[in-house]
Amino acid sequence: MLRDNRERLLMVAVQGEVVPPSTGGYRTQWDGHPKLALGMGGIKYNLKIGDSCFGWASGDHVEPGVTIRGKEKENPSDCALAHLACIGNEAAVVDGEAKGARGVFTGRHAGADDLVWLPAEAIEKLSIGDKVQVKSLGVGLKLLDYPDVRVNKCSPRLLDSLGIKEKEGRLVVPVVKEVPSFLMGSGIGFGTMTEPVDYDIQTTDPKAVKKYELESLRLGDIVCLKDQLCVNGRGYYKGAFTVGVIIHGSSDFSGHGPGVNPVLSTKDGRLGVELVKRANIADFWGLK
Amino acid sequence: MVKTNKDRLLEIAVVGEVVHSAVEPLYVTGWDGAPTLGLGRGGIIYNVKPGDPCFGWAWGDKVEPGVSADGTGNDGQKGSFRNFSCVGNQVKIMKGEAKGEAGVVVGKVGYLPGGAHHLVLHFKKETLEKVAIGDKVQVRSVGVGLEFPEHSGVRAVGLSPQLLDVMGLNEKGGKLTVPVAKVIPPEYVGQGSGGAPAESSNWDVMTQSPDAVEFLKELRLGDIVCLKDILTAWGRGYYEGAYTMGVVSCGASVRMGQGLGVTTILTCREGEAIPVLKRGANIAEYLKLGGG
Repeated sequence: MLRDNRERLLMVAVQGEVVPPSTGGYRTQWDGHPKLALGMGGIKYNLKIGDSCFGWASGDHVEPGVTIRGKEKENPSDCALAHLACIGNEAAVVDGEAKGARGVFTGRHAGADDLVWLPAEAIEKLSIGDKVQVKSLGVGLKLLDYPDVRVNKCSPRLLDSLGIKEKEGRLVVPVVKEVPSFLMGSGIGFGTMTEPVDYDIQTTDPKAVKKYELESLRLGDIVCLKDQLCVNGRGYYKGAFTVGVIIHGSSDFSGHGPGVNPVLSTKDGRLGVELVKRANIADFWGLK
Repeated sequence: MVKTNKDRLLEIAVVGEVVHSAVEPLYVTGWDGAPTLGLGRGGIIYNVKPGDPCFGWAWGDKVEPGVSADGTGNDGQKGSFRNFSCVGNQVKIMKGEAKGEAGVVVGKVGYLPGGAHHLVLHFKKETLEKVAIGDKVQVRSVGVGLEFPEHSGVRAVGLSPQLLDVMGLNEKGGKLTVPVAKVIPPEYVGQGSGGAPAESSNWDVMTQSPDAVEFLKELRLGDIVCLKDILTAWGRGYYEGAYTMGVVSCGASVRMGQGLGVTTILTCREGEAIPVLKRGANIAEYLKLGGG
């Protein structure tokens, strides 16, 4: 039985607004070609958590479902939503035609975007500018018998869904893929806080994409990052282990690719993984 | 003799200003949770110069040798200062007590608080004593567009003709050879990934994991190094078989994912330019920078 301190967590309301899609005109890909990138920001009617990270026409960093941003500060990354919302938290639309619809917080894309799954009928009614409130719960979550394991952006609900086993004093987490450390790219070293930032599994070397079969990755997958430590920030540390959730899709821009929100991390050898065919938050919670 | 198009490069004046150290308003959290004030991120640093160690400065974090300057004005004006200036270019102080005195661009460091970006400048000791924060500096920028007609797979990035001529480039078996102090594996290469354009800012070689620190500890500011499997052509990222050659432009860091700044000067996708290990491959020696 995994013991934690969930009965002492504070549950705090945090809020964001549905934002328009992001577009910055043509941007230059890793190979020198221009691209009008699609899929960041806004309401995506036909892209949801559980879908493929790859292959969307002109897609780049595609964010499933609905993208919201905190508004109480100029930079969304400084807002309470960015720091406190945890994957698996309940989200609710609090104004507009979809008012009252309930969904799930599914991750944070470092640039600016917080991501929410909502049911299809709610998405049909949703407007850009609608407010979404999240009952944040998870900051401060600790595993009492594994104090070295940093828990980040992980709700008690996600912790329970991961299927963690204990074997010989180690936590063993089912994941769909182990990613070598040298593939970790954009977001690495970006600030010293772990909570508001994801980082990318680089997909701008076609050879590496093939070799590590990255095209099998799905939005919401649970993955392992080897030799990566995400306790205070993100970076290389030999022997460290990080488990995270894929929160956005692949990219053609140098150093970018599917984004990972770290949820468990340690350098002290008390975290391991087992490879499984499916481990995805859409399956955990029946998000369709 | 390696052929280039250096006689066709435009020489353009770009203007900036000597800046304060880039510091956060609060304690900075190191990778291990220890707080620090992170000293040395730009400004005027009197007692560190190219050729000095990258590690071991008291409370030092990404220490930039000498004087740091950034562009002023709108994004376009800042961009020209950051992107057109090349390592080895001449810089002149335009106002203040050191007016008219010359120095050399020795590196670029980005990812600073508030979106700041530093050009790292070397001046001789007597000049350094006279420089004030806020002084206007002008770089005679030349190097953007530099090409190797017989090595079309090699892209020069922020490399000046001044450094090009003295860094010992040669040819072997159809490839360009580049003397470097160290070849660094891709797992040590951190912040900078995903950044663009290639011309501004830097890569960081991470200095938190003990094996990385052991591997890197002898490196000096100004060393020319090679980043293996790293491509810096139209942005920064991993690419198996690629190489990026750059100049170490700032020191070690306690922040996770950060470390020695490497300012790109050359890159290739398929190994068209290869590193050759050489002790003392350092711009302080190449550009005869002397004691600052």
